[in-house]
Amino acid sequence: MIDVKKLWTKRRNAHLTQMLKYFSLMANSGLIVSLILLIVIGSIYYAKLLQALPNDFPAVFILTIIFSIWLTKSPIRTLLKEGDLVFLLPVESRMKQYFSMAISSSIAAGAFSTLFIFTLLWPIVQVFIHDGWKMYVIFSFFLIAAKIFNLFVSWEERRLPYKSHQMNYRIMRFIVNFVYAYLLFNEAYLFLIAIFAIMYVLKNFVFGFFKKQHGYQWEMLLAEEQALKIKGYRLVNYFTDVPALKQTVHRRPLLNRLAVFSFKKNNAFSALYMKTFIRSGDYLGLYVRLILLGFLFIYLIPPGWWQLAVVFLFFQMFSLQLFTLYTQYRWNVSFMIYPINDTVKAKAFENWLKGLLIIQGLVYGVFYWILTGDWIVAILMPVAALVYSLVRLPAMSKKHIPMTS
Amino acid sequence: MKPILEVTDLTGGYLPNQPVIHHLDFSVKESEIVGLIGLNGAGKSTTIKHVLGLMEPMSGSSKIEGQTFRDEPEIYRSQFTYIPEVPILYEELTLWEHLELTAMAYGLEEQTFLTRVRPLLEEFRMDNKIKWFPSQFSKGMKQKVMILCALLVEPKLYIVDEPFVGLDPLGIQSFLEYMVKFKNSGAGVLMSTHILSTAERYCDRFLIMHEGRLVLSGTLDELRKRSELKDATLDEIYLYVARGKVT
Repeated sequence: MIDVKKLWTKRRNAHLTQMLKYFSLMANSGLIVSLILLIVIGSIYYAKLLQALPNDFPAVFILTIIFSIWLTKSPIRTLLKEGDLVFLLPVESRMKQYFSMAISSSIAAGAFSTLFIFTLLWPIVQVFIHDGWKMYVIFSFFLIAAKIFNLFVSWEERRLPYKSHQMNYRIMRFIVNFVYAYLLFNEAYLFLIAIFAIMYVLKNFVFGFFKKQHGYQWEMLLAEEQALKIKGYRLVNYFTDVPALKQTVHRRPLLNRLAVFSFKKNNAFSALYMKTFIRSGDYLGLYVRLILLGFLFIYLIPPGWWQLAVVFLFFQMFSLQLFTLYTQYRWNVSFMIYPINDTVKAKAFENWLKGLLIIQGLVYGVFYWILTGDWIVAILMPVAALVYSLVRLPAMSKKHIPMTS
Repeated sequence: MKPILEVTDLTGGYLPNQPVIHHLDFSVKESEIVGLIGLNGAGKSTTIKHVLGLMEPMSGSSKIEGQTFRDEPEIYRSQFTYIPEVPILYEELTLWEHLELTAMAYGLEEQTFLTRVRPLLEEFRMDNKIKWFPSQFSKGMKQKVMILCALLVEPKLYIVDEPFVGLDPLGIQSFLEYMVKFKNSGAGVLMSTHILSTAERYCDRFLIMHEGRLVLSGTLDELRKRSELKDATLDEIYLYVARGKVT
């Protein structure tokens, strides 16, 4: 028989080691430095912002909104895997132990992150509500207590078989949390105790009933786990490549209108690349992010010819990332056996990348021109993109695109 | 009848000096459906990969219309379409875009594409799903997408790897009807399958593989004669061969 307790410990440890590995990768990447820079700059502006806020700033209301949303959102990492739907179903009756350990660790994470968020917002509380370390402790205590309540109760909520029913109860929790947070930030402790009584009734009688009526909704739990996992991966993915990250596909109908090609054999691949670029989650996001990051650099670095080198750097970063798009097709047998020469496939890829790079160059150029009024360097930016794509791209595609014929 | 696919003395595998298939000789002629049959691991998929031109033969050759993949890669590959055992689709493309891409890649005229595609979609009851993405399809529907793409092109040769698994009965029937229709208008089909009762009814000839070798081939009557099993079904002959009784 499977020892579900051991199974949980094993999975949690594997999860932690993986997170640690990714974390060290993140720490090693250069982007973490810019993140720290951003935090330092951000905190300076935060202090300035606080001073600039008017006296009638609705701090209580805003804090209430933030925390009622935060408390209602109660993610639970179950660390379930697809295979569990087959292999753990027979031990469903003993899964209670497994899930209670999962809930405990989600509570620990939830309490910690609640404290973190509250600490971030603490300066606002100090200025507009109440100062002093005692207040910090009291507020944190009540917020964490509410978070724990929500996690417990939402676990029972997850037993409901229909999303719409779950939603109804979630709305109910939101209302309770809203009142709770509102009373807390108004320091109406007496009323808070009344809310505690309501919460007790809810936990034991309303949500407690679900346990008797419903089993676990395995598929929903698995879907939630996968969504949370992908969320985590996505964060890491900003810093380093996460192979496990499944691409999500968006329809993006407006952008897709741009991908119109005449019905010709030679256009087959251009259409494919373009559509993949537009629809898959990350490539388009990467393009936009790099363009914005480029703006930042152009803005920070004093104007001059050397800006062209900066732009070159961004062309290089973008095209390096984009070549991974080609590997996406590597195992697609239809893609491999189309009666089209490999050089044509590669050429189409280069041309398509060239187009994107020239657009990138144009956008940088316009931005630079608006910023400095220097139209010579501005014009040279798209020209640089063209030069880059003529000189560098063929060499890169030779390296990244395998030729079979 | 004129042969479309000719495989001569084909030996090949994944590691040098360790061939998985040995000295295969067979052909697929115009207007015939040839069933490729064998146990798991008999070498069917490896054989198909060689025919597709995805693997290089160690010795021997696979010719379509007299040419090897090495000679004329583009012409070689434009002669056939392939339905893989496991459907592999582009996650970012809708059903309609899959069909369009295939048509473009095989050089179909837009008008030809449009006249062929509608009846196909209706026949496989996918006409109301043309805007769907692969993530929304069941395994059987994904298989249908692959089938639609392959049928759309109307090539000389179809290479089909286990098409029936996951397909609903109506889908299987539609697929077989199309195969017969194209066969009657001159196309050849090489079909690998484990569904022997269907193979027995639809295939004109059989290639039975065992441990990388072609141990029996021919029409059902010829198989019966060679295995000395009178009135045997394909099932019985196959089991006989699979237990290593024929060498």
